[in-house]
Amino acid sequence: MVATVTRSTAAPPARQQGVLRRFWPQYLAISPFFILFVVFMLIPIVFSLYLAFQRWDGLGDTEFVGLQNFAFLIEDAKFWLALRNTVLIWFMSTVPTLFLALVVANLLNSAVRFSSFYRIAFFVPSVTSIVAVAIFFSSVFSTQAGLVNAILTGLGAAPVPWLINEWTIKLVISLVICWQWVGYNAIIYLAGLQAIPSELYEAAKIDGAGPVQTFFRITVPQLRPIILFTVVISTINGMQTFTEPQVLFSSNSANAANLGGPGSAGLTAILYFYNQAFNNNQYGYGAAIAWAVFLIILVFTIINWRIVARRDRPAKVRR
Amino acid sequence: MNLSRRDLLRTSLLAITVAGGTVACGKGGGAAADTNELTLWYWGGGLSDKVVADAVARFNKVRLTPSVIGGDFKQKLVTTMNGRKFVPDITGIKGENIASLREETNRFIDLNTLGADKIAGQFVNWKWSEATTKDGKQLGIPIDIGPGALYYRQDVFAKAGLPSEPAQVGAAMSTWDAYFAAGQQLKRAVPDAFMVESVDGIFKNVIGQSGKRMIDAGNRFIGDGDHVRKAWDQAVKSLELGIAAPKLEGQDRTAARVNGTLVSNIGAAWGALDLKNEAPDTAGKWRVAAMPGGPTNDGGSFLALTTECRNPQLAFEIITWLLSPENQAKGFTDAALFPTNPAAYKLPALTAGDPFFGGQSVIEVFGPAAEKVTAAYEAPADSAVYQAFVDELVNVWSKGKNRDSAWTDAVASAKQIAERQGVS
Repeated sequence: MVATVTRSTAAPPARQQGVLRRFWPQYLAISPFFILFVVFMLIPIVFSLYLAFQRWDGLGDTEFVGLQNFAFLIEDAKFWLALRNTVLIWFMSTVPTLFLALVVANLLNSAVRFSSFYRIAFFVPSVTSIVAVAIFFSSVFSTQAGLVNAILTGLGAAPVPWLINEWTIKLVISLVICWQWVGYNAIIYLAGLQAIPSELYEAAKIDGAGPVQTFFRITVPQLRPIILFTVVISTINGMQTFTEPQVLFSSNSANAANLGGPGSAGLTAILYFYNQAFNNNQYGYGAAIAWAVFLIILVFTIINWRIVARRDRPAKVRR
Repeated sequence: MNLSRRDLLRTSLLAITVAGGTVACGKGGGAAADTNELTLWYWGGGLSDKVVADAVARFNKVRLTPSVIGGDFKQKLVTTMNGRKFVPDITGIKGENIASLREETNRFIDLNTLGADKIAGQFVNWKWSEATTKDGKQLGIPIDIGPGALYYRQDVFAKAGLPSEPAQVGAAMSTWDAYFAAGQQLKRAVPDAFMVESVDGIFKNVIGQSGKRMIDAGNRFIGDGDHVRKAWDQAVKSLELGIAAPKLEGQDRTAARVNGTLVSNIGAAWGALDLKNEAPDTAGKWRVAAMPGGPTNDGGSFLALTTECRNPQLAFEIITWLLSPENQAKGFTDAALFPTNPAAYKLPALTAGDPFFGGQSVIEVFGPAAEKVTAAYEAPADSAVYQAFVDELVNVWSKGKNRDSAWTDAVASAKQIAERQGVS
């Protein structure tokens, strides 16, 4: 748009300079983001791509190894375990999170009293430090000293080794994520809900639709683009789950690096990347893991996009 | 305070100017010619803060600026060294990083050129050699060590009819087999108590006693050697005898230590502080005895001079002063840093009885242990390779994995990790 405007007003040779001169305050105003982006994001991203083909201990010289890091990656059972864990934890956390968020958003939408209070209350977890949240959850789910097991034993049940069993480890990590992100997604859904014209609901009411039918026939279809957005964001975040297992299974022992607790059941792909690069000083291999994860997120996002977006297209044609 | 927008703007502009000026000055101060300033990096608890403050006052010909660096110390040090700006003159190196940083011989000063070879004999030699390169350069002076011993609950030992005084326990449980037999007796007498707290701890200490690790000095993989297999078998044996507790961590482990389920553990000297902090109510019930099978070491850091150091001679004088026997004794009192200089073991700060251990003078156990640790070559990739064995051992311990398939998997995985790091 900028180009068309200048073409009509300024002479072609001076076009480029003219744009800069005329719009410099605007460029200056947006420059902090781009400068920070280049320094803290773009350069590290490019450097990590370079590192993925090197062996580097972080301080000495880099040594070109071609695709060797990726060849090791394919053979590395730990890496595949980490990927499996990541996908499982992503699934176990995203599905309940988004479902609960939709329910909460509906409740918030119809709440009459204290609605601002509830909105803030649900949003607070997502701005709370994940480290603090994870420390809190690790206390709550501690086998011998935890609140959950205290309640279980109080009810006469046997205590559960939450942070030791392979599946409960994943469950606890998913719970942390769920607790933290329900409110955030609910607020996004709430914005979407408020954009749905009330005529639709009125029409549905007149046609005799009940609340469940209204929810599935009107609310969900109308929210589809918003749901797509939250699914994509949750996928990108879920594939990068790191802090929760990092804090839940952090060890004081210097020699025993954190590999996601007993049996590495809480080892996520990014935690493994961190472990390889920063604990084992294998920055090249770490970079290879990071790029592999990037490719997987890309594939997941495209699949998500296709599934949710494709349904929209025929509908448009019909209309 | 009444702050108009104009005032706010003016103040912020002023602040920016001042900040810019400070940065500019900082750059000037980083010049190599300035020998009137020395910086010292360490982490919280890495040195006694009081001893460091004394050093600042004592070496007042220069401006010695100590900084306590939080977070991932090695990462911050390496990042700064890569940036080649604001590199500390004197820096601590954590024990787990010495093997990899020892390879960077051109980033640290060979302390032998400053006279370190003359004081080498004062320090425990196995720790000193951890900072010696293959070609004989000395890159660091050891701050502290972690000689190991057997921590045990005297009250429960007595209840089970086992020897309960430190000297008797040390003599009666001088081998792993004797220790395990005592564990079986304990199990019969006090059924809900466990002698062995950590199965991978047994593995770690038997390896520590062997004098060999995962990779030899010729950069060859020896993780499938007899010394590793022996340690593995010993660890698995504690499980098969039923004397090893289920795997507990954090608060769960603390709770079990307090209620007398976990009655003994093998730990380094610095572990005493953790024990005191997490289980203060059990004060007086614990004792310390010699470790079964001979002492091992766990951890211990170094002080080093970077090649950017602006006054190496004086900096060396400062670190040797910081690590004199008297100051090491202060470090023991203030920060539980176990001295690397055995002359300190005779000082009152170390010989005093410890009420947490029922008045026992624990140096009588840790002192001789410190001087008897077996030296071993540790390669940079060692801890990553070692971790493969621990992971599989934990699978046997907490998930009931078959011991033989776990061993096969551990060796395969360890070889792969070693290969990734360029070990043949």
